[in-house]
Amino acid sequence: MMDRLHIPARLQRFVWPAIIIPLVVLYPEYYTQLGTSQLIPTLSTAVVMTVFVTMAVGLNMVVGYAGLLDLGYVAFYAAGSYVAGWFASDQFATHSVVFGAVGVQGNAIGIHVSIWILIGVAALFAAMLGVMIGLPTLRLRGDYLALVTLGFGEIIPQVVRNGDHLFGQNVTNGVAGITPIDPMGFKYAHGILPFLPDNFLLTANLDVWYYRVGLLLVAVTVFCSIRLRDSRLGRAWVALREDEIAAAAMGVPLMRVKTWAYASGAFFGGAAGCFYGVYQGGAIPDNFKLYISTLVLAMVILGGMGNVWGVCLGAAVLSYLNQQGLGAIGNQINSTFGTNIEITKYEAGLFGLIIVLMMLFRPQGLIPSARRKAEFEVIREEAETAGVAA
Amino acid sequence: MATETHTARRPVLAMLPRVTGALNRVLTIALLILLAAWLLTNFVKAPSQFGSVALIGLTNGCLYALIALGYTLVYGIIELINFAHGDVFMWGTMITVTVAGTHMGLDGSQSGLVTVAGVLGAMLCAMAFCATLNAGIERVALRRLRDAPRLAPLITTLGLSYVLSNAAQFFYGPNYTGIGAVLPSRVLFLNWPAKSLVVVLATIPLLAILTYIVRYTKQGRGMRAVAQDMDAARMMGVDVDRTISFTFALAGGLAGAAGTLYLLDITTTRFDLGQIGLLAFTAAVLGGIGNLTGAALGALIIGFIQAFNEGLSWHAPGEQWTTSIVFSVLILILVFRPQGILGQPEADRA
Amino acid sequence: MSLDGPPLLQTRGARKEFGGLVACSDIDFVVPEKSIVSLIGPNGAGKTTFFNMLTGAYKPTAGEIIFDGHEVGGLPAHTITKLGVGRTFQNIRLFQTMTAVENVLVGMHTRLRGGLVRSILHTPGVKREEREALARARELLRYCQLPDRVDDEYAMNLAYGDQRRLEVARALATEPKLVLLDEPTAGMNPQESAEFTTFVSRLRDERGLTILLIEHDMKVVMGVSERITVLDHGEKIAEGSPLEIQSNDRVIEAYLGSGAAGTAGHGVART
Repeated sequence: MMDRLHIPARLQRFVWPAIIIPLVVLYPEYYTQLGTSQLIPTLSTAVVMTVFVTMAVGLNMVVGYAGLLDLGYVAFYAAGSYVAGWFASDQFATHSVVFGAVGVQGNAIGIHVSIWILIGVAALFAAMLGVMIGLPTLRLRGDYLALVTLGFGEIIPQVVRNGDHLFGQNVTNGVAGITPIDPMGFKYAHGILPFLPDNFLLTANLDVWYYRVGLLLVAVTVFCSIRLRDSRLGRAWVALREDEIAAAAMGVPLMRVKTWAYASGAFFGGAAGCFYGVYQGGAIPDNFKLYISTLVLAMVILGGMGNVWGVCLGAAVLSYLNQQGLGAIGNQINSTFGTNIEITKYEAGLFGLIIVLMMLFRPQGLIPSARRKAEFEVIREEAETAGVAA
Repeated sequence: MATETHTARRPVLAMLPRVTGALNRVLTIALLILLAAWLLTNFVKAPSQFGSVALIGLTNGCLYALIALGYTLVYGIIELINFAHGDVFMWGTMITVTVAGTHMGLDGSQSGLVTVAGVLGAMLCAMAFCATLNAGIERVALRRLRDAPRLAPLITTLGLSYVLSNAAQFFYGPNYTGIGAVLPSRVLFLNWPAKSLVVVLATIPLLAILTYIVRYTKQGRGMRAVAQDMDAARMMGVDVDRTISFTFALAGGLAGAAGTLYLLDITTTRFDLGQIGLLAFTAAVLGGIGNLTGAALGALIIGFIQAFNEGLSWHAPGEQWTTSIVFSVLILILVFRPQGILGQPEADRA
Repeated sequence: MSLDGPPLLQTRGARKEFGGLVACSDIDFVVPEKSIVSLIGPNGAGKTTFFNMLTGAYKPTAGEIIFDGHEVGGLPAHTITKLGVGRTFQNIRLFQTMTAVENVLVGMHTRLRGGLVRSILHTPGVKREEREALARARELLRYCQLPDRVDDEYAMNLAYGDQRRLEVARALATEPKLVLLDEPTAGMNPQESAEFTTFVSRLRDERGLTILLIEHDMKVVMGVSERITVLDHGEKIAEGSPLEIQSNDRVIEAYLGSGAAGTAGHGVART
């Protein structure tokens, strides 16, 4: 198609980004023009979509690049949210620390650190958690590792729910969660560039500002992902995914490389979790069910494991459906056909079905990476020759 | 940097592997002693409560054994963890609700003979349904993925798990459903109802039949052959596809039986009951995945762990920690002794 | 002739047991620096097991393995590779969905230093390192007689002979002192095997490498080796020059007449 439009080869790789990026970035400006259908993503949905895209790109580093099946990604997401809960609220009321925080008095109780800093802290904390979990477990083989991560994915939500009396301390405030959490704002930049709001919560269009920050988060994550993919570490990940024994024989230190994958994925999961906690105004256990891990995994699979753009697409689609789309589609169906089906109740089954169908019929995903395409050709050829020989 | 001189300068480093190995053993023994001490204290403080809790553990352990055997049979033959197995079990309970409750109208008011016949009939229906369901899963979804990278079928069963539980939600609604008290709840001793005794007793012939099938029948031999070496078995004339289907059906049948027994004991069920599958799965890994005796042993242990955790009064973490505890056991086993209690350590093949 | 160099690799009583089975039984073995040594023996003699112990794929049950002055028995594979041992595999183990160049670049993993953070930041140091690595990779591919067009071709699409050569190029990328070649001529026709024989000598002469070869093709073995060690049932049964081995009764007996002097016998490829 691009050849027919006579676009020179050098510029072809900029065509899709040139179309999509403005569409995405300027969405808040024009989305009201798109009509009144329930199906149009609201800005609030759009913010959530940025959170999930970040997480999916993060998980893609673990599952897609390095080939390690992580079924407990929700742990890092929760960790990030609780960092926001701990350091941007009244949770630790016995202390009083205010540092660059927005919307609180200088003598407020609790610890209040600027969210911009906290996102980085949350990311690092999640990465450390990833390293800690990874050290004893990454030497296990694929399916055992998946089980262990599943174990953590089940344990963390339970710990978080019961964390109001962990050895006598109230760490997570139990089922109620930690809320409220301070908002974001450009506390210092506001002085120089007044159009940047100093407190998002006080603006008329706080969703727009959060959306913009969310996009920034996505951009940073995608950038890092691409750089890593094309680096020495990225090559080591592909080698390790293909053939661990040969990779080790070529000098790739397996444990270290796997841990880096895990830590990188965790890093962005933590950042996303922190941001989302701030946006929601709370770190609430109900958000951290095991199902989230499966959901993010489904996004990676749908998009195309290993291809960062495919994963963005898969994440955008599934998170949209999860937040708003399924409900809206359900309502449309009900009003058109006079039925009374609550489609949102069947989301898990639908997404499960998507996973199954993708694995059976298009395991390389919607937009496979070039390598995946090649990989599946190998598998098909081997199966064919095996079939011929058998 | 010469490795030789490195370890010469720091002899501690060279000893590290041996030290951590010994440390492992010491810590394990210490942990077990602490556990034993805790159990003993509870027993001394409230012996009858201990007894009744232990009986609950036994009952649950039997149920978990039937489910765990399903996991281990499938893993033994194609090295796949079937995440959907717990939901197959849940469907066993649902089918029992439909057959025994809705169709037969069993509710404990019928005579003993009619009840027994009805229960057996319902169990056979559940077993047949679940066997077909499990074999169907293999035939439709997993067979195609036999040559795919290992993680593909794993992810697929995860997706299927959600499909199955959601389907149950569709057909049976989101709330608890169940049947009446079909089996007598008369307490025998130590708070143990007669129906729980029935569960334990019913497990025995099921295990016996399974053992017979695995050890003495042609299909059982085929299963063991394929589990050892699929290619060699194929060359010896074993129909590998049929054997794998048979294994899945067998596993499903056990899950169906477990479903009926569970429903008769607990009397209620819900679409998300499949989560129990993960407890049973931990049991299979604990005992040694691929090892049938191990699955039963592990299941009893997990049954006791759960019961003691939820039922004992002296410093028991309580029901809200059961999942965490069981999964911690899973993680510890996989990290420190992946072959489980009865398994063989894996050879360090290249 | 360089059999009188200092030992680059030395094993003393190297032993590998799998449960009750003894795959390698107390092998004493020396590879002098800059020599070309072959390891031969009937199928199942324990040659690949021995290789695997040398490269860290297996942990020896007993005995010492000393490479370049370091005790390497039981060390992880990547550490041994970093110390200077490179290898190819009997059944080709290339990274199928990576291009030829990428395969070679993976081989350079231990010799490059670009870490995670610097890669993300794309520092000038990393940029330069990657550029140089790419140039070195292409140079290695040329050295191993692979044409330009394979550089950006997926490994799985290459012809069999090219794949074997690529494996060697990848092993060379690890900048080894000792190269272990595991049945490198399996599946090659006589002309390719003869070319390979010359190539092995070049590796030693031009790059100062020490070569240890497992081979079934007796023409190659006799043609290139300075010394041959023979294993049978996990034990060393003979060691000496090609001439000595050809006339050794125990060796001939072990092979039961196959691949003896002068015959271009190809080993039966194991599936």
